[in-house]
Amino acid sequence: MLRFVPLTFKNLLRNRRRTILTVASITMSLLLVGVLLSVYAAFYFRGGTEEEALRLIVRHRVSLAMELPQYYENRIRDVDGVETLTKFSWFGGKYKDNRPEEFFARFGVDPEQVFKVLSEVSIPEDQYQAWLRDRQGIAIGSSVVNRTGLKLGDRFTLVGDIYPIDLDVVVRAIFEGPEDNNSFFHWKYFEESLPENRRGEVGTFYIRVRSPDDVPRVAQAIDDMFRNSPQPTKTETERAFQLSFVSQMGNVKLFLLSIAGAVVFTILLVSGNTVAMSVRERIQEIGVLKTLGFTSSTVLSMIIGEAVLIAFVGGVLGTALTYLVTGLATEMLVGFFEGLIMPWWGVFFCLGVALLIGLISSIVPAIIAARTRVTDALRHAG
Amino acid sequence: MSEETGQGEQAVELRGVVKEYRRDEFSVLALNNVDLDIPRNDFLALMGPSGSGKSTMLHLIAGIDRPTSGRLTVLGDDIGGMGEKELAAWRSENIGYIFQTFNLIPVLTALENVELPLLLTRLSKKQRLENAKTALDIVGLSDRLDHYPRQLSGGQEQRVAIARAIVTDPAIILADEPTGDLDAASAKEALNALALLNEQHGKTIVIVTHDPHAARYARKTRYLEKGDLLPEGQLPEDWFATTAPT
Ligand SMILES: Nc1ncnc2c1ncn2[C@@H]1O[C@H](COP(=O)(O)OP(=O)(O)OP(=O)(O)O)[C@@H](O)[C@H]1O
Ligand SMILES: [Mg+2]
Repeated sequence: MLRFVPLTFKNLLRNRRRTILTVASITMSLLLVGVLLSVYAAFYFRGGTEEEALRLIVRHRVSLAMELPQYYENRIRDVDGVETLTKFSWFGGKYKDNRPEEFFARFGVDPEQVFKVLSEVSIPEDQYQAWLRDRQGIAIGSSVVNRTGLKLGDRFTLVGDIYPIDLDVVVRAIFEGPEDNNSFFHWKYFEESLPENRRGEVGTFYIRVRSPDDVPRVAQAIDDMFRNSPQPTKTETERAFQLSFVSQMGNVKLFLLSIAGAVVFTILLVSGNTVAMSVRERIQEIGVLKTLGFTSSTVLSMIIGEAVLIAFVGGVLGTALTYLVTGLATEMLVGFFEGLIMPWWGVFFCLGVALLIGLISSIVPAIIAARTRVTDALRHAG
Repeated sequence: MSEETGQGEQAVELRGVVKEYRRDEFSVLALNNVDLDIPRNDFLALMGPSGSGKSTMLHLIAGIDRPTSGRLTVLGDDIGGMGEKELAAWRSENIGYIFQTFNLIPVLTALENVELPLLLTRLSKKQRLENAKTALDIVGLSDRLDHYPRQLSGGQEQRVAIARAIVTDPAIILADEPTGDLDAASAKEALNALALLNEQHGKTIVIVTHDPHAARYARKTRYLEKGDLLPEGQLPEDWFATTAPT
């Protein structure tokens, strides 16, 4: 079979423009499939870090928009397996003129605990102490610094939107780590700024448990504890918590898969048509090959081989482009997609899809060509 | 594959061969009960009006089409009873086929075109190229190995096609109007190549032709008319009226 490979290559060079266009369209569609796959993987398959596996997030069972009573904190701390926890309240608000490229998340937290829970974060000790001491201090991630140009000592006002207050803060610390598009201020300062009737509530609690084995039990214990209270809880891993945002966007999984499916289907039709066209043009040549003694199955595999080769080249290029694009996207979309990189299995998936496109698109024309009787094939002059 | 055959054995034997093309309602009797013996090392020309069944006969002998009924023995093998795969292998070993329109593969060089049938053999790349060069040498094209078909004249293209037909050293060479697309000089080149193969290499050759000049290279000419093979020496009615004056 290998000895037919050079012939296959030469057949592909026969109509260079068509070959290039076919490769290009398979490349582009696999790029699309690859990117969708990476998004899908970023949402659903990203394996958490060891530290992440130790974190649980407690929120209101009904909705993230509803808050939990502050006194839950002590009851949660008493659950066996909980090492430490911090309040974690989304403030929302507006920084300057709200330009999206300057967006960063703002949370009210317990400064003594927050970096024990977010243990991957690294922060210079002196800055940490300074932030701890200043009740108006805010700690910001390095990505926030990059995008807003804020620096130590800068003062600014966060204009409230969910809450009827403005917070004046001073940058006291800059930290690095996976959460570096966030900023943290003292929950107490935030609480005290609120009108009386809105105090005593917390958005979420971030917990660090002692060992990963404790995770399911601790989550269960917390939710059981508040099951019958007016504010029941939902305790889940950080991963699951992030996914619940995704599912707010609708059935993302189905959406991504159906776009990818439509793309693959379209390219199947396009490349099927191309193969059929090139077979039709060459039917007389196929008659000649058969006259020389080529069997139907050799003809069949030559045609399929050509299509698979084209698709494979397209697949390799598409996969390579996917890496490029997801890499760029990761750099540009810091924050939301922490790692929009195609997973290793995505490479095999994309190449597999490419090979299948080659195979499926050529199987029918190849069978037709292989089955055409030699005399009929030879009659198609020109 | 073919058993060793003694003197007087026929290269081709047709017995009561009928070929009927059926398309929906109507049917065409392309060959009507044809008996024919072609001895080994013969050079036979088949002539006859258009549609008389010449190509059909060549297709049957080559094993690229099957008779509707009758017996077809080529080089001692009953090719009517072979399966598709077996027949393809048999063809690659025993038959060299030459077309009117040369039918070279345009993306392959002369050498690669001639090498093509050898891809089906067990020969190494080196041996394949050697044999292909030898075949091109026989047709006098040693200096055109790396030319593509479009860089060759019609006569040269047809000689490449002849080289492709003989590269596997088949016993029988079949040519369907090999000079039909050639000018007189090129036709002569091609026919000389065929005559050489017949005389010096012992090939059995059957050509279909409309050209009386071409037929003169053959040892014998037989005529077909409306599917009937006319007895030796007999010409179709009005034959001279319908063919161009020589
Ligand atoms: N595949 C086919 N299907 C239907 N009819 C066919 C087929 N091949 C040949 N025929 C018919 O069989 C008859 C003999 O055809 P054939 O090609 O053998 O003629 P020919 O003598 O080679 O003619 P020409 O000199 O024009 O090449 C013709 O009537 C032709 O129309
Ligand atoms: Mg004919």
